[in-house]
Amino acid sequence: MSISARRKTVQGIQLCADPAREACFHIAQNDSEMRTFDDAMSETARRERLHRHMNNEMGALEIAAQCLADFPDAPWDLRMQLARQASDESRHVAGLYRRLRQLGGHKGEFPIGNFEWAVTNMCDTLAARLAIQNRTFEAGQMDLLGALHKFWRSVGDETTAEVLEHILADEINHVRFANRWIRTMVQEDRRLLLKVATAIRFLSETNATLLAGNPAAASDNTKKHAALGVNVEDRRHADFSDDEINEILKQAGMSTFVAAKGRA
Amino acid sequence: MGLILREKAEYLGTFRWMEVFLMETLARWVPTTPEMEVKVLMGRHIWDSAQHADALGKRTFELRAPLHYTLTPLPPYLDLMKELAAVEDTPGRIQVVYDVLLPAFTARYQEYLKGSDSLLDEPSYRVIHEIVNAYDRMRQENEALREQLKETLAFDARLAEEWRRKEAAIAEIVPRGTGATLAAGTHA
Repeated sequence: MSISARRKTVQGIQLCADPAREACFHIAQNDSEMRTFDDAMSETARRERLHRHMNNEMGALEIAAQCLADFPDAPWDLRMQLARQASDESRHVAGLYRRLRQLGGHKGEFPIGNFEWAVTNMCDTLAARLAIQNRTFEAGQMDLLGALHKFWRSVGDETTAEVLEHILADEINHVRFANRWIRTMVQEDRRLLLKVATAIRFLSETNATLLAGNPAAASDNTKKHAALGVNVEDRRHADFSDDEINEILKQAGMSTFVAAKGRA
Repeated sequence: MGLILREKAEYLGTFRWMEVFLMETLARWVPTTPEMEVKVLMGRHIWDSAQHADALGKRTFELRAPLHYTLTPLPPYLDLMKELAAVEDTPGRIQVVYDVLLPAFTARYQEYLKGSDSLLDEPSYRVIHEIVNAYDRMRQENEALREQLKETLAFDARLAEEWRRKEAAIAEIVPRGTGATLAAGTHA
């Protein structure tokens, strides 16, 4: 059985079972098991950020690789993009691990979560997986990275800021090829639109259910996202249309910035 | 070997299958292998094998076969590849790729070059030289990883030797005479 067909149940929701991890890692099944810090840029908090990000990149590598394994009949040019993405995400893991060790951290120092893997691999079409992983999670990471490197610079950590800027440049390419291929695939088969919409609704409902048990985390996440804003410039690089960007701004509670340029 | 044009396309189409097989095997192993450093190595080499398959697939088109023409190898070789792809432990997987497949594929490529013409078939030579050079780098990266993980991973050299022996025992892998120029292209 393919690993993407294995299942686990979290708070009553069926999700894809976790990918393989070394015994040193503690896998959290919801946000409340993750470590949080009052001082978000303390030395320990910095290591936790890098450790969490490193595992997220490992998940992105695994998702791209699993798409290659699960969809052997996908167009060759799209498979090439996924193979490249796997390589990029591998470099991201290595770069973040190197930085983590430079700051005195180690594998397994903090709990990790595999939420993106667990949700994305519930989709049975490549278009839906690209919509969830690349167009939603990675595009959200573009927003995050667009702001985060400034935070690291503000505390004098130029090295980590550099790592994050390089990762951001790669992520834009991953979001862009997903946007282009989703459009192409939907044009060829309109039924895929329903698959993509169903996948997005599943993500939204799963998020809502998991966060319902932890209202403090839900409120905290909303505040953090509002504070970081939407990375409009890079979303344009990644081939989001103005209409799509405007919709994202509205959803983020930033209607007054609609159609404005640059970071909102 | 003295290959005619059609047979060259058949060889390169079979080589393309091998590279796609390597890409897909590494892709399946990334989420199911626990060690982070091994995932990273395999993830990077997925892209290498994809590029090799791409270059071979473009070359088959130049040899009057379909673009990305791909031929499944003869049954004994296919069965062996399936056996190797079913290995589940991390040291075994590393040995399959870096101690067995890359050296074996290198030998198959070199055998092809012996039977071709470096002037008339120069584009194939260039593609294959790029692939073999990349294999050298991939194996060096694998050696560095093994050094890094030597305290945690134990390798069984006899197992790799047995797999190498089985691979080398299969002389013919290319389904020749299938009519590459007439065949419909297969997706890979």
